[in-house]
Amino acid sequence: MSVLEVKNLTHTYSGNTPFVNDAVSGVSFSVEKGEIIGIIGHTGSGKSTLVQHLNGLLKPTEGEIFIDGENIWDNLKEIRKVRSKVGLVFQYPEYQLFEETVFADIAFGPKNMGLSGDELKTRVLETCKIIGVKDEYLEKSPFDLSGGEKRRVAIAGVMAMRPEVIVFDEPTAGLDPEGRENVMSIIADYRNATGATVIIISHSMEDMALVADRLMVMNNGKLEMFDTVENVFKNGDRLRAIGLNVPIVTRVFNELKNMGIPVPDDVFTVSHAVEVLKQIKAGGGNA
Amino acid sequence: MLRDITFGQYYESHSVIHKTDPRIKIILLILLIVFIFLAKNGFALGFAVLSVITIMLITKIPIKLYFKNMKAILPVLIFTAVLNLFYGESGRVLLSFWKLQITTDGVSRAVFMATRIILLIFISSALTYTTTPNDLTDAIERLLSPLKFIGLKNAVHTLAMMMTIALRFIPTLIEEAEKIMNAQKARGADLENGKLTERVKALIPILIPLLISSVRRAYELAEAMECRCYNGGEGRTRMKQMHLKGRDFVVLGASLIICGGILTLNILL
Amino acid sequence: MDSIISVKNVTYEYKNEDAYRGEEAVVAAVKDLSLEIERGSFTVILGHNGSGKSTLAKMLNGLNKPTSGDIFVDGINTKDEEREIEVKRKVGMVFQNPDNQIIASIVEEDVAFGPENLGVPPKEIKERVNDALKSVGMLDFKESTPHRLSGGQKQRIAIAGIIAMQPECLVLDEPTAMLDPKGRAEIIETLIRLNKEKGITVVLITHYMEEAQNADRVLVMNDGEIIADDVPKVIFSDVERLKKVGLDVPQTAELLYNLKKNGFSVDTHALSIKEAAEEIIKALHSEE
Repeated sequence: MSVLEVKNLTHTYSGNTPFVNDAVSGVSFSVEKGEIIGIIGHTGSGKSTLVQHLNGLLKPTEGEIFIDGENIWDNLKEIRKVRSKVGLVFQYPEYQLFEETVFADIAFGPKNMGLSGDELKTRVLETCKIIGVKDEYLEKSPFDLSGGEKRRVAIAGVMAMRPEVIVFDEPTAGLDPEGRENVMSIIADYRNATGATVIIISHSMEDMALVADRLMVMNNGKLEMFDTVENVFKNGDRLRAIGLNVPIVTRVFNELKNMGIPVPDDVFTVSHAVEVLKQIKAGGGNA
Repeated sequence: MLRDITFGQYYESHSVIHKTDPRIKIILLILLIVFIFLAKNGFALGFAVLSVITIMLITKIPIKLYFKNMKAILPVLIFTAVLNLFYGESGRVLLSFWKLQITTDGVSRAVFMATRIILLIFISSALTYTTTPNDLTDAIERLLSPLKFIGLKNAVHTLAMMMTIALRFIPTLIEEAEKIMNAQKARGADLENGKLTERVKALIPILIPLLISSVRRAYELAEAMECRCYNGGEGRTRMKQMHLKGRDFVVLGASLIICGGILTLNILL
Repeated sequence: MDSIISVKNVTYEYKNEDAYRGEEAVVAAVKDLSLEIERGSFTVILGHNGSGKSTLAKMLNGLNKPTSGDIFVDGINTKDEEREIEVKRKVGMVFQNPDNQIIASIVEEDVAFGPENLGVPPKEIKERVNDALKSVGMLDFKESTPHRLSGGQKQRIAIAGIIAMQPECLVLDEPTAMLDPKGRAEIIETLIRLNKEKGITVVLITHYMEEAQNADRVLVMNDGEIIADDVPKVIFSDVERLKKVGLDVPQTAELLYNLKKNGFSVDTHALSIKEAAEEIIKALHSEE
């Protein structure tokens, strides 16, 4: 059984809101436990609206969402419980920090789920251990941390709810290269420790090529493609037509192919590229 | 939810009223409000209602938008009307219980008061919908400029600048509040249920981040203003100059007719 | 060299208060740094968070004053309080968050804010506003409300607001950090055009290595000092040094660097996709 299943999801924003139209129409897909899914698409393609349905923040205009086989809107009163099953880390999550100490802030989510006392403490400490929040930070004010550390703490706040599915909306936005790398490894650490399903919205094709199992391509509120990284990135022309692209290394390989070198078209990472070129070299050069 | 607040928002629809000098509009607004409250009989008030409706139609702004603003003011409206209901001193007694009684006089007072408040909202909305916030603050600054002769020059400019910035940041902060609410809801925060005290407590995770971000924004904005050579009102020029044109006098004349009409009906009937 | 900005032995210190321990430490964000920015050039400054690049940027127009040393803008010392406005007009600054730099609720009124402060006559302000909006490709949005625009569009309005003051130099502190790829491309294109067509000196601070490819010169900052200063190709060929200071390289540079490590005879100075492909082909052929 799929951990997450979306059937024919449609969301239209009512009235003439002056805000960016980010509607979703007729989206269906299902995700298996432990998968890492990347969502790509330009701004306004419906990505953010889509993910806000997964934990019941938005109610679909039409269609259904199933978590562990249960329709999340079957019981209106239980909708808050869905939020501990599907964690959602918004863009710039450090802007939601509010408690006096890092510990209290990370504890906010699990406390809302009903945890208390030792159980709560264990949960927070465990989470900190998984993703490397230093012990000495726990009694500090979250506002005294550096930008990158603030984000780590904010992400820990959602992870402490131990969601089975955790969704990140552009988790690396605004960070420097080191910060971006840190966030990507936090995500990997959480998944390795808990076996959770991970969904990441990203603009970086290079990052997606490194971490994702499957890619969801959104365009104008519709699910344009949902396939393995390989099959998505093979469709360079289709991606370019909707304002996206393939990783830079893939573009170099496309260029090589145009220049007559018989290279495969499923190269998306630097390490793979080096392997392939080494083989070609060893095989006596090219025709 | 929060996005429904439209008060203080400009609505482009190219009407005569949009083009009228904002200074004239502000003076007329004050004048009309005074006269609406002066209207003491049904004919005068009826005339005022017709005039305001006409103004609303001339603005070419969807009537729906005017009513949207009513929602927010409804509790005040009902409260005032009910208060007036029991305030009647004369007239036939319609209903009486405990120490209170409702008289025909009370009913008419309540109706009058409610109508006046509704007109007040409509006519003020007509001003804010047809005038950009910047024009509005600019006009206020200019109207208050005589104050500089009594040594309040900086105060006038500062006030106008504060209003400009406040109006500019209202939509930004509303959007931000929504984002923070969603983020906290995603962490299991319960904003809808519970007793009043619980609900107030539930606001803390929203208000603190909002406050912190507002302070950060204010600091960054101050730096950005400094980088754009802002140095107070001294030596500033304005791109938009205000000159009274022919149509401004037409609007002025029409408004004076409305005021005169109310006054005449007050006296004659 | 005809310098628009000269930085001479500048140090910037600030007090770092630890609220918990009640300790106070003096931290130097910029250390004895000297630098000349050539008139009309396009310079990119790279560095991880806390490397001192933002502090340096804020000193270039006198927003921050050096603790020691001097900075001259077109020959004017930024410490000269009499000429503070002149310095800020000559060196305009654009920041990361476009929302927090836009003052007015109508695009053209916002762009007019700078010239209004400078006391420019109304008629001329109108011309300047139109010119500035045209130069960033936003003239059609003259009467729009900024908060309904995309991030890239808002940031272009912020740039127009500076251009309307007719600056000599534009300093941008991570202007693309909060934007999507489309917005980022819009900003970089705009900057290249302003540099080429209007001859405005550009100093761009960024985290995105691809944005440095078009620069005349790249400076790498670490720990308050400039540790590398060269053309982009040379900077990005030293992958190890960049990674050591918490930076990244464009994927083309990373590919060539890794090929070289694996015995390919490639020139790691190639940056564009085409150049990289040509290098690889050359290396493959040379083995035959």
